[in-house]
Amino acid sequence: MIIKANLREAARSLISSRQRSILALLGIVIGIASVIALVSIGTLAQQESMRQFKEMGTDILSIQTANDRGEDKSKGFKLQKILKIPENLSSISIVAPYASSYGELRKDGKRINIPAMGVTESFFQMNRLAMTEGRFISDLDGITPHACLSSNLAARLKAQGIETNPGSELYYNNRKITVIGTIEPVAIGPMRPYEIQEGILLPITALLHMSPQSIISTFMARLSPGFTTALGTEEIKTCFSDLTESMKLRIISPEEMIAQMERQFQMFTLLLGAIGSISLIVGGVGVMNVMLVSVTERKREIGIRRALGARKKDIQWQFLIESVLLSLVGGFVGSFIGVATSWGIARFSGWQFEIVHGALILGVGVSVAIGIFFGYYPARQAAALNPIQALRTD
Amino acid sequence: MTLLKLENIKKSFNLGPLQVNVLRGVSFEVKTGEMLAIMGTSGSGKSTLMNIIGFLDQPDSGRYLLENRETARLSDSELSAIRNKKIGFVFQQFNLLGRLTALENVCIPLVYRGIPEKEQKSMSMEILEKVGMADRAGHKPMELSGGQQQRVAIARALVGSPSILLADEPTGALDTRVGQEIMNLFLELNSTRQITTLIITHDPRIAAQCPGTILMQDGYIADREESQ
Ligand SMILES: Nc1ncnc2c1ncn2[C@@H]1O[C@H](COP(=O)(O)OP(=O)(O)O)[C@@H](O)[C@H]1O
Ligand SMILES: [Mg+2]
Repeated sequence: MIIKANLREAARSLISSRQRSILALLGIVIGIASVIALVSIGTLAQQESMRQFKEMGTDILSIQTANDRGEDKSKGFKLQKILKIPENLSSISIVAPYASSYGELRKDGKRINIPAMGVTESFFQMNRLAMTEGRFISDLDGITPHACLSSNLAARLKAQGIETNPGSELYYNNRKITVIGTIEPVAIGPMRPYEIQEGILLPITALLHMSPQSIISTFMARLSPGFTTALGTEEIKTCFSDLTESMKLRIISPEEMIAQMERQFQMFTLLLGAIGSISLIVGGVGVMNVMLVSVTERKREIGIRRALGARKKDIQWQFLIESVLLSLVGGFVGSFIGVATSWGIARFSGWQFEIVHGALILGVGVSVAIGIFFGYYPARQAAALNPIQALRTD
Repeated sequence: MTLLKLENIKKSFNLGPLQVNVLRGVSFEVKTGEMLAIMGTSGSGKSTLMNIIGFLDQPDSGRYLLENRETARLSDSELSAIRNKKIGFVFQQFNLLGRLTALENVCIPLVYRGIPEKEQKSMSMEILEKVGMADRAGHKPMELSGGQQQRVAIARALVGSPSILLADEPTGALDTRVGQEIMNLFLELNSTRQITTLIITHDPRIAAQCPGTILMQDGYIADREESQ
């Protein structure tokens, strides 16, 4: 009963000193928003990568070439050698090499810069893709510039009034290419290159033909049933050991990917956590300030309440509830902004969005804790006031 | 029956290096149902005495018995409970809380008793009716005249059925006519409900209407008159 009356009282008192309260809340809003955004984005990113692994399986490796020295430009992998790997190595069942480039897509005087990727037919199965319309690239396409559009690119082109159905013609780096299909949207992660979502795919030989400076820097390999990541890695290393003088191999396994993501996530957590904590401290001090001013302004009220039978404890509760309510308001606004931010980032990154409930609980919990922590001292001050002195102030 | 008994109450304040002996040994008794005016020049210690009687302040020495019980060395919670249940304060400046309605102001003592809200409201409405303010229950103090505010304040002092009503210059901020109306209310409450009442006043016309008068001077009770 007292709690209910106190809550109503606290709300009224906060509303009557609106301006001051709002200013004090800024820190809490920013702090809670960054904490919520941090936890949500981290969770969404992890879920997204997990979704990718779920779709693709964890029995894949990504093998990249890396230059040892800057001047020594890597020549990349040789296509023929890669295509023979499933035959030569018992641990590998399928390979999908790819080469990347970046160029200008043009049609009807409209130009956009997009990434392009040269792939083989096996790329489709390797990445567990699906077609919205048309067909995927076939090894029989050879150097014919047949192009598959990614879902996002198709949407962008449609928005500009450019035809994307199979048979439409576009120009990539001034060469005519023919659309043969559009890929369905997929979860992007550390294994799947982002071109699947943003660019065009061409037959690998066609791409290498069109842009001679492109190299095959990466190939993906799926393990044969019953073989472990370690075994596959070992076999690939030995296969390339004699051939790679200036080239270094980097073999990325799902396990390693997940570990790396976790490291990145930790960095991210530290950074946003630091921003969050600083803002929360600033916000907490703001709340304390508002409450101290409020206690000073309401000395007479405190005296009156004491005369009418309020115990020190009652006064302390009244002001503590007020400061908790104040920071809770900040917590709610901050949570809203945090969720909105994570929604924006999820959208921008092409992740599936959902409200992370753990983050909301954390946000509300933290703001209540701040209200208690920073409201405690002012509430103590209020409770400790001498009733007569308090009544005499005006 | 003796309601309260003061014996040799002393109280001093430190004003910087100066010690002001405000009460230098005050002794008197008040019987249940009595109505006393307390007079005396400004600074003679009337308010200090009333604060001690109302448990807002403690004497430096002396005994204070309320309903025959020793009141020294009570905890904050116990003192608050006595103020809440036994004492009704009425102030010169009315001291209503501006954010609350008249009804909510009257409810305050009941809130601290933990009485359910519905019951608070019905008890408060009943008492507001008694002081003639029922039709203004939903108004904020700002929207009421001085006399009306003091009526609400009296209702608030009475709502918890206290043993004693302490009024510190209750008519001091009101003009003579309205002050007399408030005085009439005190007289009526005292005669119909036998509420023990102490009224500090500067106004001899107000004091003359009380059955008894105490005169304070230099920290002592200089005189006590009973008109009956
Ligand atoms: N809390 C206090 N601190 C210091 N001096 C006080 C305090 N309360 C009262 N006094 C002093 O005690 C004297 C008596 O005050 P008070 O009891 O209010 O007198 P009255 O009500 O008769 O005018 C005054 O001189 C006043 O300044
Ligand atoms: Mg006085």
